[in-house]
Amino acid sequence: MDIKEFIENFASNLNDTDVSELAPETAFRELDEWTSMMALATMAMVSEEYDVELSPEDMRNANTIEDLFNTTMKLKG
Amino acid sequence: MKNYLSLQGKHVLVTGASSGMGKVFAQMIAGQGARVSLLARNEERLEQTRNLLEGEGHNVVCCDLTDEEQLRQAAKTMQPLDGIVFCAGINEFVPVRFVKQEKIDRMFQTNYFSQLLLLQMLLKKKLVNKGASIVFISSVSSLMGVQGTLLYASSKGAINSAVRVLAAELAVQQMRVNAICPGIVRTEMLSATNIDEETFTKQAAQYPLGLGTPEDVGHAVLFHLSEASRWLTGQCMVMDGGYSLSR
Repeated sequence: MDIKEFIENFASNLNDTDVSELAPETAFRELDEWTSMMALATMAMVSEEYDVELSPEDMRNANTIEDLFNTTMKLKG
Repeated sequence: MKNYLSLQGKHVLVTGASSGMGKVFAQMIAGQGARVSLLARNEERLEQTRNLLEGEGHNVVCCDLTDEEQLRQAAKTMQPLDGIVFCAGINEFVPVRFVKQEKIDRMFQTNYFSQLLLLQMLLKKKLVNKGASIVFISSVSSLMGVQGTLLYASSKGAINSAVRVLAAELAVQQMRVNAICPGIVRTEMLSATNIDEETFTKQAAQYPLGLGTPEDVGHAVLFHLSEASRWLTGQCMVMDGGYSLSR
């Protein structure tokens, strides 16, 4: 699992943002289209693609896409 | 003055009685003088609930609602009922793009199919007395369009439909069937869902009378179980502190 693939999966939930606009250091909450629904969709994506469950706390503690990636990696062990 | 909410001499089954709303309802129902049968999976937590109940003769029925054989065994041991409160339920926020058969099955099995099946078994065995009141805990989500609630809302919507049909079929035995559609109530179930605190706080701001408590809904449950509601059937009572008014 690499972060490029993670960013592609993350982008699959977005409608108005192209994957090329995203980087590991992107603060996802600052995206124009970010809503609380996107947080749920991101958790669902991680569950489906990586078979681990991010908690609401994990979401809250993350600022960048890389933070989410790192937490997911840690959960996968 | 007569206590119109008295449940003296009645026997009431509460599913999902080991936690959350069910646990509070069981205490309130026992407080009105009824004998309560508590049904849930976890025997230890059921016993804890039983220890909180006023009065004597309360039963613990340990049963996984999603297991048909266990349901059948539970129905076998039940004594005749004057009231049933279907309170067992789960919630998970799933955006439509991430819905899977397995998630649909889990939600509907717990929130809808198992309750219907248990009721069917109890009716077939004539364990529901003439004049009994059957109360389903639905949700205001079933009437709204809140993002991410597809599975939960539709499982509760199925209950709303069932209530009308059951009310029509069972009226001949003077049984009444109703649902309560609460808005957000703080319970363990809610804490266990994947909703984040920020979203939760935003939701709370949308309730003109504030968020509800299990006791708020419990008062409506007592009313539905008591003789005070003897002319009420087939209805879904929205109880949401005004949440749905301006939507």
